[in-house]
Amino acid sequence: MADGARYTIGVDIGGTFTDVVLIATDGATHTSKAPTTPSDFSVGVVDAIRAAAGDLALAPEALLGRTDLVNHGSTVATNALITRAGARVGLITTRGFEDTPFIMRAVGRVDGLPAEEVRRVTAVTKPEPLVPPELVRGVRERIDAFGEVVVPLVERDVEAALDALVDDAGVDAVAISLLHGWRNPAHERRIRDIAATRYPAERLYLSLGSDLSQVAGEYARTNTAVANAFVGPAVRRYLDGLEHKLRALGFAGRILVMQGNGGLTGHARATPISTLQSGPAGGMLASAQMAGRLGHRGVVTADMGGTSFDVGVIDDGYWRYADEPIFERFRILQPITDITSIGAGGGTIARIDESTGRLLVGPESAGAVPGPVCYGTGGTEPTVTDADVVLGYIDPDFFLGGRRRLDGARAGAAIDERIARPLGIPAVEAAAGIKRIIDSKMSDLIRREIVRSGLHPEDLVLHAFGGASPVHAVGYARDLGVREIVVFPSSAVFSAFGIATADIVHTRLATRALALPVDPALLNADLAALEADLLDELDRSLVAGEPAFRRYVTLRFRRQTTGEEIALPWDRFSANRMVELESLFVAHYDRLYGAGVAYREAGLDLAGLRVDLVGAVPKPGLRAVDAVRAGTPPVPEPKGERDAWFDGNFRRTPVHDFDRLLPGAALVGPTIVESRFTTVVLPPGSSLSVDPYGNLVIRP
Amino acid sequence: MTIPAARRATIDPIDFEIFAHRLWAIGEEGRIALQRVTASPIVAQGGECMCSFYDADGSMILACSGHLRFAAATSDAIRRLIEWFEEDPGIGEGDEFLVNDPYIAGSHTYDIMQIAPVFVDGRRVAWVASSSHTADTGGLLRGAATEIFHEGIRIQGLKIVEAGRFRNDVFRSIVEQCRDPHYVGMDIKSRTAANNVATRGYLGLVERFGIAFVEAAGRKLIADAEAMARERLAAIPDGTWRSRIYGSARDPGAKGASAPVLYEVLCTATKRGDELTLDFTGSSPQLASDQNSTLPSTMAHVAIALTNQLFWDVPWSDGRLAPVTVIVPEGTALHCRFPAACGRSPRIGQYVVEAVRDCLAKMLYAAGRRDEVNASWGAFWYLGGPGFFYGGHGPQGLPVPQGLYDIHGGGLGAAPTRDGVPSGGQPNIPSGGISDVERIELQYPFLYLSRNHLADGGGAGRWNGGAGTARLALVRGSRDLTVDLVPYAGLPHGAAGLFGGYPSGIGGVRALFEPATDLAGRLADGDVPATADEALASGAASIAAASGSAGRAPLPEGWLVSDFTQGGGGFGDPLDREPERVAEDVRRRRVTSRAARLLYGVELDGGGAVDTAATQAARTLIREKRRTESRPPALADPVPVGTWAPLVRFHPVLEVGRVGDAAPLVRCVRCGTSLGPAGDNYKAHALRRDRALEDLVGRPMPDGSPYLAVFREYACPGCATLLAVDVWCEQLGGEDDLRDVAVDAGRP
Repeated sequence: MADGARYTIGVDIGGTFTDVVLIATDGATHTSKAPTTPSDFSVGVVDAIRAAAGDLALAPEALLGRTDLVNHGSTVATNALITRAGARVGLITTRGFEDTPFIMRAVGRVDGLPAEEVRRVTAVTKPEPLVPPELVRGVRERIDAFGEVVVPLVERDVEAALDALVDDAGVDAVAISLLHGWRNPAHERRIRDIAATRYPAERLYLSLGSDLSQVAGEYARTNTAVANAFVGPAVRRYLDGLEHKLRALGFAGRILVMQGNGGLTGHARATPISTLQSGPAGGMLASAQMAGRLGHRGVVTADMGGTSFDVGVIDDGYWRYADEPIFERFRILQPITDITSIGAGGGTIARIDESTGRLLVGPESAGAVPGPVCYGTGGTEPTVTDADVVLGYIDPDFFLGGRRRLDGARAGAAIDERIARPLGIPAVEAAAGIKRIIDSKMSDLIRREIVRSGLHPEDLVLHAFGGASPVHAVGYARDLGVREIVVFPSSAVFSAFGIATADIVHTRLATRALALPVDPALLNADLAALEADLLDELDRSLVAGEPAFRRYVTLRFRRQTTGEEIALPWDRFSANRMVELESLFVAHYDRLYGAGVAYREAGLDLAGLRVDLVGAVPKPGLRAVDAVRAGTPPVPEPKGERDAWFDGNFRRTPVHDFDRLLPGAALVGPTIVESRFTTVVLPPGSSLSVDPYGNLVIRP
Repeated sequence: MTIPAARRATIDPIDFEIFAHRLWAIGEEGRIALQRVTASPIVAQGGECMCSFYDADGSMILACSGHLRFAAATSDAIRRLIEWFEEDPGIGEGDEFLVNDPYIAGSHTYDIMQIAPVFVDGRRVAWVASSSHTADTGGLLRGAATEIFHEGIRIQGLKIVEAGRFRNDVFRSIVEQCRDPHYVGMDIKSRTAANNVATRGYLGLVERFGIAFVEAAGRKLIADAEAMARERLAAIPDGTWRSRIYGSARDPGAKGASAPVLYEVLCTATKRGDELTLDFTGSSPQLASDQNSTLPSTMAHVAIALTNQLFWDVPWSDGRLAPVTVIVPEGTALHCRFPAACGRSPRIGQYVVEAVRDCLAKMLYAAGRRDEVNASWGAFWYLGGPGFFYGGHGPQGLPVPQGLYDIHGGGLGAAPTRDGVPSGGQPNIPSGGISDVERIELQYPFLYLSRNHLADGGGAGRWNGGAGTARLALVRGSRDLTVDLVPYAGLPHGAAGLFGGYPSGIGGVRALFEPATDLAGRLADGDVPATADEALASGAASIAAASGSAGRAPLPEGWLVSDFTQGGGGFGDPLDREPERVAEDVRRRRVTSRAARLLYGVELDGGGAVDTAATQAARTLIREKRRTESRPPALADPVPVGTWAPLVRFHPVLEVGRVGDAAPLVRCVRCGTSLGPAGDNYKAHALRRDRALEDLVGRPMPDGSPYLAVFREYACPGCATLLAVDVWCEQLGGEDDLRDVAVDAGRP
């Protein structure tokens, strides 16, 4: 990296490691890691930045002094929810509806649980709430579904509620969520004003449902207000503490915060709850950017780690938000990247069902503790990783670059004893069976996500990341009919990469209940108002040029509960475009559900609007790896070879070092490619080439 | 472990796993498509739907998540389609039949099934079906029917799609019979969409694995389910368990306000070896109103109970019911004769579920499977008054979606180590839910003044039943709203407590409220009631004698509807509940201080803390009353001196055991008192007293009608611990100390 370069730093705090990506003005990148420090996450962040500076032979002060932006994805909010280490929260709501967070629309009993768990009908209970029933106070007021005040706010109820919650019970934060606050926020804002007059911001954190979402549905919106209040003080404290630490090291730039919607926001304006799932959103963004650079219109991302398998779909550079995403079993209303997860990973357990003799793979997981049998840390039940070792796909001496030694013999013995012998087949065939079953399950999940988006597998490119994904990618891609897989050299720090290169994104989602045809002028005014709100939110000093807008509408046939969101191809409506909109919707419907299902005669309703504001953050362009010299395509030399199981036999298979594969290189299966973070398995019949960015492009 | 050769898959076990998971995934995709396209809120948010697969003869191979009632029903419909239409007009590739005759399958005409054959190389190899609840089939509005002919279209098989072409003639002719054709039409489309997904997916499996494999794998799914079900049954001690659940219905012959017709569901569950017999002999004769269950509906509800509690981890195929025999005499309300009306069949079906579950809970307790034990999920301490099936038009002039299903958020029964889940769901749809009030108000002409957990909504016990919800809603934005109406019946419906827990809670008001003339002004002044009691006490409204006839009542603009949903039964003696826990219940508005005193013997001080001394005294007094107010127990020989050898612990405080070679006895494990020979009914040897509902509830029925049942308490004659609390209805009579358990003492 050139002297005098200036930097953007992307940070992603993961469960085990805190990743840092530096991007210099000339487009050169550098990555580093440090252990995550849950007691104070900012320690790990600073450690990782110090490590990066060290790699560049710079003092941390020198690096930070030349850094303009620290873009930050954090798990502080998620972590506070998981560990239940959040603020003591009180809730003020409409009198008569104090139990909304506990009724949980009844579906809260099963929300966030895997299908196998849901079936334990007599055993499944609701989660412990984030706000105890004693700390909920109702106030007299009522606004109807059209925003009209039916019962004016009784302000002495507000005073009494604050007396009880703040003065008597000593809460640190108050969530305010009233019925139909999405339509008319006046009463919520009045309560905020009363509270703000009584208590300084440092004493009492306030969280308003109507600020956080303009979507109908009091259960999820109330959860959002409560969860935001629960994590808010911790997130604020954390970000302020981090800023303080970085400033002390000479950082004079800006801290931007990654949001679950896949965009950044200024530190001071960050809504704590919006940071949920910012890491995975960073990964999606990196995929989307890579897709743009490589010309992939549709992408499915598949991230397989030790315990979970996460799938997202990118269509034409962008992705859907989840309808009511669930965190720690609580539904919320926030624009959050739609990523679906199942319990399938390296730690997934295989076992024989005693009654039926079936070979079941999952959903139980050995997790990290006791872990797969081959870890030698107490696990006795064979897992997917054990099968991968027995099949020769994973080198027991080079797992995670040799950071963990695996006991292959132990894995083989466990599979033999518990799976192969009961089935009466050789151990290696049992291992191959375990792999096929888990690959197929992952393929089932991916297919569902693709179909849900109205796309087809054969039109998509699969981006495989996470330690375990590339081992299995060809397996599930073949099953799906996907024609191309891409594995990125930076996939181990992919989220940090996406965060480093993200733009500012602010989002408004708003419920509407309008029967079409609607006067286009009304809709245009509605859109303009939403855009004006977003412009108000934008800190213009962070962006270059004029911000852009992405606009979407949710339509449904009249009487339906659920709608479908479609991107608007124009910025404003006209009479002709209203007609065109109907055709767009019907075409979309045909794609989703088959021809003939659309029912125009029922009439159409416009059920919601979504506007994203995108403000471009100035940043360097990424460089391709140094160009391949013409005429000398590199012929990669394997670093070794080992036996791996393909098509019913062990075959001597060459093993390549990922880091030494240069652009233009090409390999055919059977081949294994290893890095310190992952292993790519190419069975016979598949092939790969290395693209100008050093990515592995696999034809399954 | 070694798998016996006979159990080993005859097909490749790896391919079988892949097949099984993919088939399930396809069914889920189909269900999701159905839920997104449907116009029924109860389907989209409540999950009342199903997507399932059948073999060529109609045996169910697999049903996915959703409404269990449908899964159990469609096999019968497919068999009839084959029987009736194979020859004429023929069953061809690309056909899809619509069926909604509850005498064939399903519970009432609103359960609509669309069933499509799947062909491979010109041969019919399978069927897919997508089913859901569409609350409009034309006919009379809910509540008035006395014959099935009043309940709208009843179709025994019409091709809605023929040879791949959607039939507009059929479509139009069906939807135009209904009040809201677009709604019904949208739902038909949603089921077609789901079948498209399922058929496409199934053919994909055939392409990948070959038809021979797919058919063999289907047979294995059925065989596996049977093997698992038999294994589960074999692990339960042999014995007989019995339950009795009460319900009530309208007498359509009576004019105006009339007395309810009471009925009972009596279930005898006999478990021997790896088989189970459920015998409903003794249940009431069929009714003149629409509260009847056809045999297919009863079978479907039996399947729900078995699936939820006994076979929850057994894949949903027909195999799981193979070891179960069900006996339902024709002419009873559970097996009505054509053309009896059956629109309210799900209600009586709910009582079938509760009757079976009550037996299963006790059976599973005796088997030591405590995680699977729940008290009743469907308890109302009374029913009657306005229901939740609306008619008329909303503010935008659209017909009101008929049902408003807050009942999908009822309280669940208590378990051996915890309280029942409040507003936890509904047994038919383990993963269902209720709608947001904000969403309801965008669709229905209501303004809710409250929806909270119902205080005293769950049965009292050592562990409380979960409470349902209570709502108070103002009619707003309709000129012609009506609601179904049945006579009040002051009798706990669907109620069963476990092992000394109370069968149901005693809170809630279900009635129409006429508003005070100045209600609008009161609201504008901030004077807004949040509970039924508050509305009545403040004079904002008063209970109205519902007018109306033929099972419907008008809901004038500005009137209020007060309603509550079912709660769970309690588990164990409420006097065993820690006083601090009861104090917390009161703080959390789950239990009133009145009930704390009356049922739990817990006295609180002015600050809401437990008054320990007063509580001790109150509990002593309650135990004393159990002795002094009881019928004297039949004498039992004392437990002989010697070493007690327990045989079966069939109850938390009762077990069957013996001393040496003496005949087996039932003994209280707390105080050692004998409750008679194992062959006797322990209830005859227990203290027995009846508790009048008016005393417990402390208020009259909304219309002043009499209470029609008592809570009958049985307590240990030694330590006065409550052993059972039954609902007893003198008017219906029958066995007055219902013998609920007879375990075979010969088998440990």
